[in-house]
Amino acid sequence: MTLEIGGLTVRFGGVTALSEVDLTVRPGELVGLIGPNGAGKTTLFDCLTRRVEPAAGRMRFEGAGLEGTAPHEVAGRGIARTFQQLGLFPGLSVRENVMVGAHRHGRSGFGAAAIRPGRVRREERAIRRIADEALDRVGLLPLADHPAAHLPHGILKRVEIARALAVRPRLLLLDEPVSGLGHDEIADLARLVRDMHFTSDIMIIVVEHHMEFVMNLCERIVCLDSGRKIADGASGHVRRDPRVIDAYLGVVPWASPAGRP
Amino acid sequence: MSGVDVAGRTGHRRLAVGQVAGDRRRAWPWPRVTLTALAAAACLVPFLLEPYRVFQLTMVLVHGIALLGLNLLVGHGGRVSLGHGAFLAVGAYGSAIMTTSLGVPYPLTLPVCALVTFGAGLALGRPALRLSGPYLAVVTFAVAVVVPLVIKRFGAVTGGSMGLSTPVPVAPSWTGLADDQWLYLLVLAVAVGAFAVARNLVESRAGRALAAGRENPAAAEVLGVRLDSHRTLAFGWSAMYAGVAGTLYAWVVGFVSPDSFTVTLSVVLLAAVVVGGPGSLLGPLLGGAFITFVPAVAQRAGDALPGIVSGVLIVVVVCFAPTGLAGLLRMAAGAVTRRTGRG
Repeated sequence: MTLEIGGLTVRFGGVTALSEVDLTVRPGELVGLIGPNGAGKTTLFDCLTRRVEPAAGRMRFEGAGLEGTAPHEVAGRGIARTFQQLGLFPGLSVRENVMVGAHRHGRSGFGAAAIRPGRVRREERAIRRIADEALDRVGLLPLADHPAAHLPHGILKRVEIARALAVRPRLLLLDEPVSGLGHDEIADLARLVRDMHFTSDIMIIVVEHHMEFVMNLCERIVCLDSGRKIADGASGHVRRDPRVIDAYLGVVPWASPAGRP
Repeated sequence: MSGVDVAGRTGHRRLAVGQVAGDRRRAWPWPRVTLTALAAAACLVPFLLEPYRVFQLTMVLVHGIALLGLNLLVGHGGRVSLGHGAFLAVGAYGSAIMTTSLGVPYPLTLPVCALVTFGAGLALGRPALRLSGPYLAVVTFAVAVVVPLVIKRFGAVTGGSMGLSTPVPVAPSWTGLADDQWLYLLVLAVAVGAFAVARNLVESRAGRALAAGRENPAAAEVLGVRLDSHRTLAFGWSAMYAGVAGTLYAWVVGFVSPDSFTVTLSVVLLAAVVVGGPGSLLGPLLGGAFITFVPAVAQRAGDALPGIVSGVLIVVVVCFAPTGLAGLLRMAAGAVTRRTGRG
């Protein structure tokens, strides 16, 4: 029941975005994915969510290949992600955003919705319950009926995490969850991710530039540089790895509070 | 649920899908009273107004039904159709031909035309919705151009450019109603049903998925939304609404001709969705009133005026009230609730 990536290679025209990346993630693991801009971190997420077609390599999730999965079937496989730039639906309310996250837990389409029999109403209530649970988990239930726009950035980031949680994923991909957040909000978010990590055995992969956040949160760190995996191991080791320091961290990363060298 | 209570206390409210973000005005505090008053008024008007006014109101409802459907596609799905006049034509001609040539009783033509236009909408929407923006507009526009020509070409069945007269439904004697009153109530019943279905659709899993695809296609897809099938179905449903409106049009007017379903009609319908308020449920009705009354009023001042006045008003609404007449109404309602301190 793991995620296994082997020899994953992605090319955009002449540029190699990912080059023979191997990665295995086991249930209950919380992996930090770091590396300089353009290292291929988001491209890896895009491969896993089938938005980018790899040139070579294989991806297996829970024993079955991901290659034949259509982009809209990814959620059904139990994979959810957030986006680097917010990927919310600003014209919908916070709750409706999260309810779209629970889309895969329902079946009814237009025809049934038109006449709204009891089955559809029950399903609608179930979806709403899943959404409210997810909102409660990130502490945003009081804002459920607010439009998912014109709210502080940190709150919108949490809405997106709630939406991903409503998928009830077994693999959660967080793309820069704390970018643009203030100090306290980062601490809150770290607590939230740690809580998700300890209370369930889902796999979580976090892409983040904020080194303090990643180093404190993740016991395992993977570092990409120019599409290649240059380090993979316990956070204490990775941050002393000369190649990682050379490619990304700079001199003494943990001395810089912003984390960016 | 505690969340609901908190939301109530802080003054946030449930948003209709597609409502403009940032709108935090309180909910209208008297929904039941208002709805009852509106329902009573809607049922009483045919007995209070002169037949011509009743006819006009019937046409508002007919247009409103077509716009409810188009709004599903444009307002909620975020996809444009410049060809919905064609589906009205199919509905109107379908009904007219069935009643005159085949002797089908008129009530039966409604479900038949609904099914036919639903199928036609799916058939057209499936390939067309792979396109977007200007390409989709051009394809649907082409349909709107071709359909009147096809109608003229097959004159033996359709009456060609002379058009086709069809018997206007007669009020059953037990009702004691005049024909125009009967027709009005008939159309009102269909409109209420159409409105209820549209509301159900918008506030459903499928409706949310459709709006999500409009707001952020990539995010919607990752969450498991099949964009193409949702959009195709929205196109099918909106075509069906247009077909139903076309059928009712044939009943109400009693005459169909290619000139009633020109490209202009399609363009006017799209404009009316925008003027009424895309993505709102009330918008289509207001849009229907707009395209029925504005030309009629302007006509009195001069023959060339309807087009000019409609055009200028459309520009004014789009520039100064991007949420349409429904948005203006919401603003007015917000002002009232603020003043009375209720909500």
